[in-house]
Amino acid sequence: MDNKMDLDKHQNEGIENIPMQQRRDFLKMGLAITGIFAGGSMLSVASTFNRAHASDFAKKYPYKPHYSMVMRQDRCIDCERCMEACVKTNHVPNVHGAYRTTILEKETPDAIGGKREFIPVLCNQCNLPQCVRVCPTKATYKDKTNGIVMMKIQNCIGCLTCQEGCPYNARYFSEEKKAVDKCNFCIDTRLAHGEKLTACAFACPAEVRVFGDLSNQEDQVFKLVHQIEKQVWVLRPEAGTRPNVFYTKG
Amino acid sequence: MAQQFTLNELVSGVVNRLKSAGMGYYLMVLISGLLVLAATGAGLHAMIMGHENFYNVTREMPWGILIAAYVFFVVTSTGLCLVSSIGHVFGIQDFMPIAKRSVFLSIATILSGFFVIAFEIKLPWRMAIYNVISPNLTSNIWWMGTLYGIYLMFMFMEYVFLNMNKHNPAVVCGFSGSVAGILAHSNLGAVFGLLMGREFWHGPYMPIYFIASAMMTGCAVIIMFHILGYKVNNEKMGPDMERSLEVTTKVGILLICVILFFTTWKMISGIAGEPGGKYEAIMALINGKFAFSFWVFEILAAMVAPLILFMLSRGKNLKFMLLASISMIIGIFVMRFNLVMVGQSVPVYLELGVNEYKHLMDYVPSLYEMIITAGGFGMTALLFLLGEKIFDGHKVDADHH
Amino acid sequence: MTLRTLVTFATAIIMTAGAALAATHGGDIVYEKPVKGVIFSHKTHVEDKGLSCDMCHNRLFEMGKVAQEKADFVMESLYQGKYCGACHNGSMAFASNTRCATCHIGVKGQKRLSGGDKHDKKGH
Repeated sequence: MDNKMDLDKHQNEGIENIPMQQRRDFLKMGLAITGIFAGGSMLSVASTFNRAHASDFAKKYPYKPHYSMVMRQDRCIDCERCMEACVKTNHVPNVHGAYRTTILEKETPDAIGGKREFIPVLCNQCNLPQCVRVCPTKATYKDKTNGIVMMKIQNCIGCLTCQEGCPYNARYFSEEKKAVDKCNFCIDTRLAHGEKLTACAFACPAEVRVFGDLSNQEDQVFKLVHQIEKQVWVLRPEAGTRPNVFYTKG
Repeated sequence: MAQQFTLNELVSGVVNRLKSAGMGYYLMVLISGLLVLAATGAGLHAMIMGHENFYNVTREMPWGILIAAYVFFVVTSTGLCLVSSIGHVFGIQDFMPIAKRSVFLSIATILSGFFVIAFEIKLPWRMAIYNVISPNLTSNIWWMGTLYGIYLMFMFMEYVFLNMNKHNPAVVCGFSGSVAGILAHSNLGAVFGLLMGREFWHGPYMPIYFIASAMMTGCAVIIMFHILGYKVNNEKMGPDMERSLEVTTKVGILLICVILFFTTWKMISGIAGEPGGKYEAIMALINGKFAFSFWVFEILAAMVAPLILFMLSRGKNLKFMLLASISMIIGIFVMRFNLVMVGQSVPVYLELGVNEYKHLMDYVPSLYEMIITAGGFGMTALLFLLGEKIFDGHKVDADHH
Repeated sequence: MTLRTLVTFATAIIMTAGAALAATHGGDIVYEKPVKGVIFSHKTHVEDKGLSCDMCHNRLFEMGKVAQEKADFVMESLYQGKYCGACHNGSMAFASNTRCATCHIGVKGQKRLSGGDKHDKKGH
């Protein structure tokens, strides 16, 4: 991939490149995130990061590895290679409304120099997943080791309450699989075979999707989530599900 | 030998009563029977061929008219149970005569509800197994299903005891059934109310509203089916039954006022401060895409018109009361439809302002979904009609004295 | 009345002329390789920005040839000043490694331009 950008080179692009409107939005989002993340101490966590002990984070990131994804949203160009790779890797049926990940498009006519933003979305593998709470038969559950929200196909009765409960529209019913289907960070199709990245993260030419282990302070996702230079936010914080998919820019 | 004789006598009694019915009765039995058959055919076809080809539900709006119909039927059943229990469980004499028919109808309506939801749930056969061996105690839908199962059992036993004139076990079953019904039904409210990502539903309002709304529906259904029951049997009401319907009408008036009050504050709380996600839903009801069904069906047909008719009837004019109760039942069905659809029509990503989810979403039931819904009504009608003849107008002893 | 007719007439002439110009400028190009959905608008560059043809042709982009068929038509080349990167370097125009979604209209933008399904992910 010769069109990939070097992260280190790219990080120092400087804040002057970000339009005013977007900067305002960052600030708003920054306010929004403080309420959900680590009991409202996200910014303080970031600023005291160097002094914090690993055990402090274990409470927050209770899984090992604690899989997580960070979206560097402004890099997304909607080439949809991630979606194609996901469909191929995870045998997502070719029917309307069947997808494990997708890209949303937001027009930003007021932003200086910006016309649109693409927002990749997938299952947020929440720490407090609504879908798991509402499932009558434990057909969907949180993996005790890595925190991925999993499906136990034979338990699914197809009541679709999990779809109602999900604040991220991350689930769909698959007639082929005879169960609700959703993103599982490719645990069965890639990670179990020793791959380090999910299919979408691997396929992305712009390195939008950074996948890794939040419980590891040396991991890139940990560093991105705990940086102080750029805002980090999550989608729908008010739904209170403590998602493990984060968004940032750069 | 004596028992066999009794059995023979019972059978010949039922046969005679069925034979004595008019052409209208047979026609209604035929129509409702055909509706049930058509619905079963459509439902099984969709189940075998894959629901996605026959239902209009989507990823974003996974619950369609069948869930609304299910909610409607169980609301009705719970309401029948609760209103009728005022008499035979809590001993208010005026409500005694409506007990048997109401308990029978609460069984009929919950069976109709189960009938409809069996075709909405994608893999119902798994439910029977995994509800038992893999229960999730934090799931409101698990509690609702389990408690409704217990409820059905108690209601069934109660009806048997009522027919055997065993008063004490009937009261125990009636009380237990009411408790199970309230718990089951408020859990159904919580299925919606505890979803934190769905602003229109979220909060303690739904479980509370569901119980009050069930009692309102119960009054309407009791009045309608008792008046119809006497028509089917070509009999005239005794003074006890008339008194019973008069007090049921009064309770109905009270509960319409309660639900009007609830609805008013629900609307105001959704407008004041324009809370995100909720405001859009409320405005869709007030002057958006749900406005017609909200004002005409939910407000006028379900509440305002019956309220006026009930008051004019003074609980005595059966024509007004029948008209009011039919209007209520139609309106309440639309009410349930709106409740399920409005909550879902707000996309979870609405606030994000993305092109894909800028507006409220639409759902129009498919032909199959409508047939199955009609089949649910057919089943209630069929069981009602058969019950009238088989159980001889559900006569309560007090009726004869 | 006469004045309004005149104004309408004049506007119509200007618009027709504009459309004709755009057509002679080659219209919009949507690249599909190496990634889908990258737009280049002749109208924006020639009419709005007032650039002349010879600023790009044939030094950066050969007339009659399709740039996306070339192996080096990638972002890295742009950063080295090739193709769009000759101007999009942060001094003449915004740098090639910023404002990605300005030129990358994506699969969605491409579908919209070709008159395809506008919101294909929507419920209906």
